[in-house]
Amino acid sequence: MMGLGVILLDLVAPFMETFAPLVPGDVFPYFFKMELFQRALLAAVLVTIVAGILGTYLLIQHLALIGDGLAHVSFGGVAVGIVLGATSPLWYALVFSVTAAILIHEMQSREMLTGDASIAIFLTGMLALGLVILRLSGGGITTDIEGYLFGNLLLIDESSLDLITAICLSSLIILALLGRSLLAVTIDPVAARIQGLPVQNIGLLFSITTAAVVVSMVQVVGTLLVTALLVTPSATAQLISRSFRQCLMWSQVFGLLAVFLGLYLSSELDTGSGSMIALVAAGIFAVVAITQVVIRRLLQPADNIA
Amino acid sequence: MKPIAVGSGVAAPPILNVNGVVVNRSGKLILKDINLTIHRGEFVGLVGPNGSGKSTLMLTILGILNAQKGSVKIFDQPPQSNQLIGKIGWVSQAASNLPKDIRITVREMVELGTINGKNMFKYRNQGRQQQVDRAIAMVDLEPVQHVDIARLSGGQRQRAVIARALASEAEFILLDEPLVGIDRDARNALLKLLDRLCHDEGKTIFMVSHDLAAIRQTAHRMVFLEESIRFDGPTDTFPDLVELAGLRGIGPVHGHAHHAHEEEE
Repeated sequence: MMGLGVILLDLVAPFMETFAPLVPGDVFPYFFKMELFQRALLAAVLVTIVAGILGTYLLIQHLALIGDGLAHVSFGGVAVGIVLGATSPLWYALVFSVTAAILIHEMQSREMLTGDASIAIFLTGMLALGLVILRLSGGGITTDIEGYLFGNLLLIDESSLDLITAICLSSLIILALLGRSLLAVTIDPVAARIQGLPVQNIGLLFSITTAAVVVSMVQVVGTLLVTALLVTPSATAQLISRSFRQCLMWSQVFGLLAVFLGLYLSSELDTGSGSMIALVAAGIFAVVAITQVVIRRLLQPADNIA
Repeated sequence: MKPIAVGSGVAAPPILNVNGVVVNRSGKLILKDINLTIHRGEFVGLVGPNGSGKSTLMLTILGILNAQKGSVKIFDQPPQSNQLIGKIGWVSQAASNLPKDIRITVREMVELGTINGKNMFKYRNQGRQQQVDRAIAMVDLEPVQHVDIARLSGGQRQRAVIARALASEAEFILLDEPLVGIDRDARNALLKLLDRLCHDEGKTIFMVSHDLAAIRQTAHRMVFLEESIRFDGPTDTFPDLVELAGLRGIGPVHGHAHHAHEEEE
């Protein structure tokens, strides 16, 4: 890559350092001061921004679990990459994930399999491939591999950051250009075709984008927890939004809140960052959902609770 | 009943010309030798019992389904031609049960109607907002234009979907069962709206319904479809139930047998 991540980090690092003295905690401020941690924070923020937008579109298409499926496929790719001695196994994950996304899209549009079945097959098949290959090569689940399963921000090196940044920026551009057409297709596919929108190609490009974004998330939250950043903030946003624009906006708020709070708690309590971010995201969902029920109960007459 | 708008466009080519169309779906004959011509300014109602091929005919006209035989021309172009982009508005059956889990306002949805294959990557478009304003005004939804669609009544939601079709400034509007799932007042208001679109806005309307009584109030011309076209003529000459049974090849077995499809709702 062209070192996009490194360039971006050079741009934002001075801002991070300005904020550092204001950041609470003993360990958390390092995320704003030390390059290793800054890289991690930048990657986490980038991924969260893209995931929030992507997740909003996934939710309306009832594809909440495709992220999970593609993440498992990515893990298969990572395992193959590690066994083959790749310096950056994420590239293998990218090839695996994008290929699977294209195949899943084809199988669904040819109506060979309906709904989630094709996702389930790829999810288990590729995860199994990864585990078998790891075992055959004599290795087991090392810390390195654990970093891909549960996420390990501090394993994000410069080349990973470059890849993550490139994926996130290009996905943002694609989503900005494609978003409205995608919404039109989701709401009424026949009407979209009559408007001359390339329904098939829009779907395919969206699948590929999803596959790439999932790969960019693997090191941040881990294969097993990708859905936490992809779906939970958008689902929380849907609870309180009254327009599509608000959904996009609130998913950013909830996603970034989960990341900053999760990183703070995990660094102060010395837990895994990925799992803490996922836990906080789920916690925010719970708080918002409960608050909403309580407010509705207070505002509406008792016999009229939806 | 209103007269068919003749004088205005005698020389103009018809808006729709269906010629000898035959459609089979999974081995079963659905449409047999369909011939149908619709001219500018007409309001045509397509009626027929459930499973008579009404939706199939619509989808064939739109080019979503292919005819095994015969041809369809819209504005003298084959369906799905690039020349037709923005000229056809489609209000689908699915409109009445829009996904309730999508948070989207009336205005946001109507805006989607302005996107097409030619402008999909243009982010800001001057004319677009005016088109959206006009479409929302035409269906009288200005007061609720920023309200989430899930919070609207069935009738309002149906209007919003019609506005989405109008936002492209389409001249030819096709509607598949727009009266389903809305109450009587909303239905009458909707029929009045369609009538206005036809007379005041110059739209040509082709509407499927199995609500015979409702569609007879508004359409200029009625087409009765059951595999083939059994009747096609001005609404005031539409046959009564006994004649209709004859056209369908159903003999009057019992004196009251033909009440069967008078009104299904």
